[in-house]
Amino acid sequence: MIFFNHKEHKGLHKEHKGYCLNQICLCDTLYPAFVSFVVKKYLFSFKQKLIILIALLFLLCNASFGQAENNNEIISDIAEELAAEDNDPDAASLYLEYFNDLIENPVKINLMDENDLSRLFFLSDFQVKSLADYIRRTGNVVSVYEIASIPGFDQHTVEMMSPFISLKVNDGVSSDSLSVRSTLITNFILKPGEYDTSYLGSPLKILAKYRITAGRFSAGLTTEKDAGEKFFTGSPLFPEFLSAYTSYSGNGVIRKIILGDFSLRFGSGTSINTAMRTGIQLTAPGFMTLRDNLRPYTSTDENNFFRGAAADLAVRNAEVILFYSRNRIDATPVLSSDSVISSIMSFYKSGLHNTSSLLKKKDLLTETVYGMSLSYNFSFIRVGANWSETWLSIPLQRNANDPENIHDFEGNKNRLLSINYNTVSGRIMIYGEMTVNNFRNLALVNGATLRPSDRLLVNVLWRKYSNGFTAFNGKGPGNSSSAANEQGITGNFSFEAAKHLFISAGYDVTHYPWLKYRCSFPSMSRKGEIELRYLPSEKLNFEFSYDYRYSMINNQKTTGIAGIEGLESRNFKWLLRYTPDENSAFTTRINYKTAYPSGSRGMLLLQDVYHKFGRVPVTVWFRYCLFSTESWDSRLYTYENDLLYSFSIPALSGDGSRSYIMVKWDIRHFGEVRIKYGFTEVTEKSGAGNFNDEVKLQFRVWF
Amino acid sequence: MFSLHKTSVAFCFIFLSASAIGGNPFFVRTGAGERGTGLVCVMKNGFWSSFSSQSLLAYNNSFSAGVNYENRFGIPELGTCTAGMIFPAGKSSLGVIYSNFGYPEFKRNMGGISCGMPLSRNVSAGVQIDYFSEIVQGEYDKIRFITFEAGAAFSLSEKATAVIHIFNPVPNSIRKSLLPSTLTAGAEIDLSKTLFAGAEAEMSTGENIIIRTGFEYEAAKKFWIRGGFSTENSSFSFGLGYLLKSMKIDLGFSTHERLGVTSSVSLVFKIK
Repeated sequence: MIFFNHKEHKGLHKEHKGYCLNQICLCDTLYPAFVSFVVKKYLFSFKQKLIILIALLFLLCNASFGQAENNNEIISDIAEELAAEDNDPDAASLYLEYFNDLIENPVKINLMDENDLSRLFFLSDFQVKSLADYIRRTGNVVSVYEIASIPGFDQHTVEMMSPFISLKVNDGVSSDSLSVRSTLITNFILKPGEYDTSYLGSPLKILAKYRITAGRFSAGLTTEKDAGEKFFTGSPLFPEFLSAYTSYSGNGVIRKIILGDFSLRFGSGTSINTAMRTGIQLTAPGFMTLRDNLRPYTSTDENNFFRGAAADLAVRNAEVILFYSRNRIDATPVLSSDSVISSIMSFYKSGLHNTSSLLKKKDLLTETVYGMSLSYNFSFIRVGANWSETWLSIPLQRNANDPENIHDFEGNKNRLLSINYNTVSGRIMIYGEMTVNNFRNLALVNGATLRPSDRLLVNVLWRKYSNGFTAFNGKGPGNSSSAANEQGITGNFSFEAAKHLFISAGYDVTHYPWLKYRCSFPSMSRKGEIELRYLPSEKLNFEFSYDYRYSMINNQKTTGIAGIEGLESRNFKWLLRYTPDENSAFTTRINYKTAYPSGSRGMLLLQDVYHKFGRVPVTVWFRYCLFSTESWDSRLYTYENDLLYSFSIPALSGDGSRSYIMVKWDIRHFGEVRIKYGFTEVTEKSGAGNFNDEVKLQFRVWF
Repeated sequence: MFSLHKTSVAFCFIFLSASAIGGNPFFVRTGAGERGTGLVCVMKNGFWSSFSSQSLLAYNNSFSAGVNYENRFGIPELGTCTAGMIFPAGKSSLGVIYSNFGYPEFKRNMGGISCGMPLSRNVSAGVQIDYFSEIVQGEYDKIRFITFEAGAAFSLSEKATAVIHIFNPVPNSIRKSLLPSTLTAGAEIDLSKTLFAGAEAEMSTGENIIIRTGFEYEAAKKFWIRGGFSTENSSFSFGLGYLLKSMKIDLGFSTHERLGVTSSVSLVFKIK
């Protein structure tokens, strides 16, 4: 069923049995396109548009793009899980940026482009194939409700997909037409309590993103300044971070060409992956894909992308990706006795340059990377091979004094060769990848997805990274950010146990055969999670989850050879969500956490309110949260709705409260303004309080 | 001049007043009926529960008045006297409440004006402006606070209601003294025409989460038996209620694992 206006949509909404969401109602998608068309044709000339663009970019300084209008529990769960991982601090931000990008550019599922469908990274390859086959066989999907009936999908998965897909076939304009569509987003973030007077620049964090599409061509510009940084640095003066690209997408031999900044993933990412880490989450349904993925770079990570040119070519069942990149990245230097940089001791990845010493690390190193990937689709199996080489302008030198580093990479050249496969047979999908660097160190990944019945999905993933395996731009499935010195197995399942009851669970065991940071002995970690979701009606959602984490670190209390200490945490979460109508939602959540060996406890009670007003185009999010933790070990993470391309998952520790209110004003499909004010107050036992607040402002304009 | 002994006793009473109620001593929960159900204030819509969760005021459409006396652990100095009135005002209902706790050396007074109204068929909301004054004799300052509390009630189905409530969602950094905040969420279900059960979770600044459960059973016509349990101090509660024409009499008792029994009696008059 297709809805062309709100009245028709509202009248028939009850027939949708809870699956019809505004995000994919055509009245919400075609109307803005029409308004945009009128505005473009009659109100603004090209010159005017250019002036507006320049004015907004350089007078306002900056801008950006999307996010789920309401707190999606699945997004929250995974984001909080990633935020709690000390091994990979960037994982949560990358993950949320990816979601922002999906909301801003939803996947048009009816185009049947498997590469585009695979942007829904939480779907397995099995589900991607199943969805594409279904559309080929039966024609366009006209309601999200329909997706739940496709083999491999259930209500849970459809709920998760719905904010990120579009049922449109096109934007109302042919991909060959030169109709121009522009989007500009500007974020301003101020956190007075976190500003240090020794910083070089203003306390504002500013982000601007501009994107323009014209038929098959698109271009984008991203610029960012973190709090405390100067907006212009270097000589000649340049924005602190500036990223740009132009791209062409085609359906013939040339699938995609990108000049400028781009993001790339080969297979499972063990050799090349500058996007989000692939893998399987403990209680998420899919999450593993081995597809090559070339995309324009639009994120704000200042060191994790390629700068140069890349092309994706396809002939029948064969596909080739070629790329060349030369990029300046941050590093921590080793200075010789005469203060000359002789080598680098590590890469500096935070992207923060708000002090003089940090500014010296900026763009210290030139990284040159080139390579290619070749893949071929046979009728029953897809195989791929890729090769890449990385050259560093200054050699990397390991710290030989520390035994944990003796297998680390040393030198300035790294060569990676990799092969991968992926086969689907009936209800089983098997995949794997093998990568070798400098013909010495090996990374192996193998996994399987089984669907014994339409209500049960089982995933298993095994991986082994030898000591010293190095891929500067790789990010394969695994627990640690370096993805070396690790072997482990992860399994999960999701099961529709009854009509409204969903159970998912997972377990991961990882062994680290060599020493690692804060762990002077071979060690292991375990984590497990079980989640129950009960949806008795369209309006009610109950969720209960329990997760367990165990890891090993040095025992700091002993002298001499470090002792072994096990860190353990158990986290219970209970959530009730009530949605009285499509414009309101109320969520209550309780968390209880225990951490050992400290034995400390942490708990929180929070209330979220979401309301979209009917008469005025205003949406409000409000949260009030009280928390109490006995130490930092029992801290709790809570995902928050935020501006687009900004995220917030504060770690709550101590006794106090965390509140925020965010208001969004839609300006007649021309743009929107979001403003968020939040504060955290931690109360000491003495009665004194520690108060931190923040203000965030965003302008988003389409023209 | 007051002795150190008296001052010490006053501070003991401050501590006891908090530990007796559990959670936030400023967040007034009163009523013998509510005491009998373990202070599960989302339990059935009632006169006193309307002052703990003002969204329930929307369902009180009659002019009524009530008084309550609560004696904690058999110590007269820890007694609380409370009086309240509810006035219907069109679709809304208005309420006033006054409460006095303590004795001449330590007194805490509270006054509140509240309003509750239905927002839609399934949702109602309410708000209350509170004024507190706390007097400790001696060289201590008199403490005064003004704050507010607000909440919403949702009819999940014909037989189930959920309530959320926030007390004092104002940062303490704007005050000289700490006034704890409290967040409460709970639900009630009608298990039969005569049996109601409810549960709620409450958390106050710097305190652990308290889980409360309770029930009310209409054993005979106009006669109710109540019971409840709270995780705070592992406290059990029980109570009785009887409706005599337009006057409702309630008795409520709750235990403390170390301090003994708190008893409460209340009278509510339905005037019109």
